[in-house]
Amino acid sequence: MEPVHHELAGEPTFAPMIQIEMEIKTFVSAWRHCDYVSTYMARMISQNRSDSVRHSNLFSSAFNELLEVAFRSRHGDGELACRVSRHGATDRIELTFPCVPEERQFYEEAMSQATGTEARERYLNSVSGDLAPSREIVLLELAVDYNAILRVEEADGNAIRLVVDLPLEGLRH
Amino acid sequence: MSPYDLLPRFKAQYDANNQEFSISGVVRPQAIDELGPSIALLRGAIDRVRGVLYVNVRRLTQMNNAAFHAFSRIIIDACRARPDLKFVVITSSVVGWTSRKFGRLSGIEPNITIEEYDSEFYPGQGFLEEGGFVPILRSQTKMTWRHERAILPRHGMRQGIVMADICCGIGDFAVLVQKEFQPARIVALDHSKSSLDYARQVMREFDIRGIEYTYGDASEMLLDEAQFDLVTCRHSLQIFNRPELILKELYRVCKPGGRVYITNEKNSHCLGEPRAESIRWTYNEVAKLFGHFEMDVELGPKSRRYLMEAGFEDIRVETFMVTNLDGDPQDFADIIAAWADVYAGEMATRRGDGPEFVARFRQGFQDHIFAALHPKGYAGWPIWVASGRRPQ
Repeated sequence: MEPVHHELAGEPTFAPMIQIEMEIKTFVSAWRHCDYVSTYMARMISQNRSDSVRHSNLFSSAFNELLEVAFRSRHGDGELACRVSRHGATDRIELTFPCVPEERQFYEEAMSQATGTEARERYLNSVSGDLAPSREIVLLELAVDYNAILRVEEADGNAIRLVVDLPLEGLRH
Repeated sequence: MSPYDLLPRFKAQYDANNQEFSISGVVRPQAIDELGPSIALLRGAIDRVRGVLYVNVRRLTQMNNAAFHAFSRIIIDACRARPDLKFVVITSSVVGWTSRKFGRLSGIEPNITIEEYDSEFYPGQGFLEEGGFVPILRSQTKMTWRHERAILPRHGMRQGIVMADICCGIGDFAVLVQKEFQPARIVALDHSKSSLDYARQVMREFDIRGIEYTYGDASEMLLDEAQFDLVTCRHSLQIFNRPELILKELYRVCKPGGRVYITNEKNSHCLGEPRAESIRWTYNEVAKLFGHFEMDVELGPKSRRYLMEAGFEDIRVETFMVTNLDGDPQDFADIIAAWADVYAGEMATRRGDGPEFVARFRQGFQDHIFAALHPKGYAGWPIWVASGRRPQ
């Protein structure tokens, strides 16, 4: 596996841990793939955390939401790649998948809202509201309940990459 | 269709007696329609109850946002339609996300409160978990280990296995097993965060690898089923008010063909010479005292029955006696002194025992120590070991 490189100055180096790739058509052929992938990767990367079972449960919970968001996106052809890397107490998920241009704009807006100061209030309003949770709200919840830091990165071709840093090791309940 | 599809992923129940709706397992639907029967059950419960409806999510391992929103919506709507109705959501401190996620609901509707199930796992055990008890626990394990290291291979212990030590306490048994038998992996679980902190500190200081300490409730573990060749649970069924619940979980996480190994005491059979009568009286009273706090320290010989009733086969039972002749008699005496402090101290006080009883009660421990340290004396503490195989 290739090491993860980041061009931002001062950005810590995240050491790669695991990567899974599959055709996006294969991924969206069955909903349970979200559960499979999130559960499997959570177990693999949690072994050397201070409480592996608890960490795995939390990681799977957050990662599954991200996979479900990707599942519900409109896609072109291409591959889904899930990569997890680590820096200290933080695990980084990089989820790359093909995406039509309108969807890219949606993700950029959703991610900027998730990092805003009103994220918590927006999330609470959505829980008390009548509508089913949108994908945007799911991303908000990652920021609110898991202290996740989210951003969108450019990826090759017609793909998008969601980068989510999860500081689960330090997360108190 | 894969075997995965055939497994029930979650279960919803309503207990009318306790006005409790509970949902457990992994709830990750693609569409809300998949939750139809469970949602109908919750709606039905809301229609029937008065006062408080308990919503138990202690064993809810996973729930995606789609499902969370569907259930939350019903509860929030019910709060608005029926201001007389209160909801108490019972989460688990073991499942890290539940208290955070469900906790948001109380900020939306004041009639929703969250109770995190945690320190009440084991009624009465608080007596045994204060920091001062750690050296005694270490001495106890050191003395029982002399026997168990020879006994364990007869109950499925061997090199390279995957094992779990449930109710691992301060983790010293797991460390001894790791050194002696080199299993491939040990998952050690306990509900006491301070004990686990201690265990992790020891692991770091002595650079011990291969043990994963995890926080959890032995009667409702997050561990997947059928993953361990050997599951040990020592001195714990006897201090749990419903041991059959723990055994059910030990069975669940044990592989078919694997074994579950339990140790327990029969305190009234502690013995000593000289001063046998006084010692016998006191330990009979110890059994009654624990019984008062819903703990059965007479469980040892009942192990066979418990294992059979839990569905195990090829059940093996044996006993050993920790005595003052196992190494330094002072170690034995120190253990008895610690028991006296707790049993004739806080526990007797909590039960409301008078000074006359406490004096006689304490005398039996003193006589046991006397027997242990006497040059011609003999003092014993019997332990029952039992294991059963999970059927293939």
